Amino acid sequence: MNALALPVVLPLLAAFLVRPVGLVSGRLASAFGPLVLLLCAGLLVNIAVLVQGQPVSANIGAFAPPLGIVFYADSIALLFAIVVPVFALLLWPREAMQAGGDRISALMLLLVGAGTGMALSGDLFNLYVFYELLAVASFGLVAASGTARAWAATVRYLLISGFGSVLALIGVALIYAQTGTLNLAQLSEFAPELLANPLGLAAFACLLVGFGVKAELFPVNAWVPEVYATAPKRVSALLAGVVSKLAILVVLRLILLVFDTPEARQLLLVLGLIGLVSGELAAWRARDLPRMLAFSSIGQLGLLFMAMSIPGVPGLVAALAVALHHLLMKPALFLLAERWHGGLENLAGAGRKAPLAAGLFTLFALSLLGVPPLPGFWAKLVLLLGLGEQDALLAQAAIAGVLLMAVVEAHYLFRLVGLLYARNEHDAPPHRMGDLAVASLLGVVLLASMPLLPALAEGLGWMAHQAADVTAYRAVILGSTTAGAAP
Amino acid sequence: MTMNPPDLISILILGGIGLVAIGAVGMAVSRHLLRLVLALAIAEAGANLLLVLAGYRWDAVAPILAGAGATQPMVDPVPQALVLTAIVIGVGVQALAVALLIRVKEAYGTLDIRELKTLVEHEICGAAGIAPPESANAPGTRQPYPVPATSRESA
Repeated sequence: MNALALPVVLPLLAAFLVRPVGLVSGRLASAFGPLVLLLCAGLLVNIAVLVQGQPVSANIGAFAPPLGIVFYADSIALLFAIVVPVFALLLWPREAMQAGGDRISALMLLLVGAGTGMALSGDLFNLYVFYELLAVASFGLVAASGTARAWAATVRYLLISGFGSVLALIGVALIYAQTGTLNLAQLSEFAPELLANPLGLAAFACLLVGFGVKAELFPVNAWVPEVYATAPKRVSALLAGVVSKLAILVVLRLILLVFDTPEARQLLLVLGLIGLVSGELAAWRARDLPRMLAFSSIGQLGLLFMAMSIPGVPGLVAALAVALHHLLMKPALFLLAERWHGGLENLAGAGRKAPLAAGLFTLFALSLLGVPPLPGFWAKLVLLLGLGEQDALLAQAAIAGVLLMAVVEAHYLFRLVGLLYARNEHDAPPHRMGDLAVASLLGVVLLASMPLLPALAEGLGWMAHQAADVTAYRAVILGSTTAGAAP
Repeated sequence: MTMNPPDLISILILGGIGLVAIGAVGMAVSRHLLRLVLALAIAEAGANLLLVLAGYRWDAVAPILAGAGATQPMVDPVPQALVLTAIVIGVGVQALAVALLIRVKEAYGTLDIRELKTLVEHEICGAAGIAPPESANAPGTRQPYPVPATSRESA
């Protein structure tokens, strides 16, 4: 399955071709990026159809694993790999279409190439490299808005991200010193013997915090509010919706394959709970919409980390449900915030001027809260049921935390919905058609998934079973003959 | 004075951890952005050193020196390749950071993180059309005396 490398290679190559193409024809250059993304999305869908749900792997450069780098595509990896170009297309920045937008196009293409690579790679150091590339592309996209406050926010983002990279490198060093390999399949083989010790837990903590920077994990999320408030809203939507999920996917692979220990899961639960509580409380206190969304995003991702702390298939299903729900919600909300970026009290009456936008906002707010018929309810229910299965005191505290924070969430979201429909003259400019169209599309997907929930649940369960099957992962990557052979 | 090799390696590991610690403390306590970038560079150097040490053998030669007929053992080449990549990434990110620092200094005239935080907060609030929060340096309680007009302007 060497075609697996194409959706990663093509955007990376195209990123460096945007400029030369722009010299030939400016119009061609502005269409070049979206066309490449369309091609990538098509390729990935084609692969997904061809493999029919069976996991496949590709050895890069024909070097066999564990020495060579390997790409691995099971249904979860393919799902997230498809999400990256599709959402990049939906959230393609307006500036990239204008004259001189080729730099932003190039950064977007780099982001997509690196993001797809993160979804597919099966090698820890390769993941680190893609992660860094993704980070640099996102620094560029945030800074490209060209305002001084965006530069200052990017510096902060860069420093925190850089510190996370140092931690991730230390984690890689610890793992390599213990096991002598960085191939995830081989690591899964050695982990029970070599990494189920305090040093292994330290390595996991380093990697978790390192990759957690992008996933807005608790101790390293100080960049979130400033960046989301100053970056173009489409970039914020991409960072909160898609980039965070890719970091989550890496953590998910690590916990499934390598660090499947109760201590590691406990760490996830504690950090997730702190993230949830701090994020929701900060969102409650926020006074402008972008930062309210940023803080609530921290809270939602805290929920996601808590879901990942549940062992086995139920935890995976919960994590997937919360992740996909957040993937739909946050980009749409940020698109609506494009025109409603002012302070919350300035939004009084805004909904009467823009009924569609306000209706969509209310829909997303209800689903975010988990009001019963909407998919958000199911995502939270699966999470709570999973936490309820465990009889540890911590899990019970976590359930209490989730329920309590739902009340806080309800308060600040309903306060805003009430403000939107307040009787007040509001003179904000209307939403752009493009933003409203994408937000409506996401809203329609959300509503359409409602009657399909049983089928969706079954599908997610099947994907979770496949992802949790470590022996199959090893067999696909290392081949049945080489499995178990030490280098 | 001779040192037996295991000691040497543990000293190197301690050095790597020390560099990371110096960098981490530097990042925690510095107020100047350039110092933060430098602290990050030191921490990265420490992490790179630790990564090289993951495959280090005191009695071995560099991988490129072990030709086909060489009898000497060579150190593990994988961490060396990884560190090369990590160094390149680190240099690129630091260059980007310094370029951004120049822009920030030009725009705000300061690289002090606390001053910048206040300035950025004011600018974000200004763009959002809401009153900026009270400065972190201001007293928490209401001021009992009327504030002179001059100090209110400079605040």
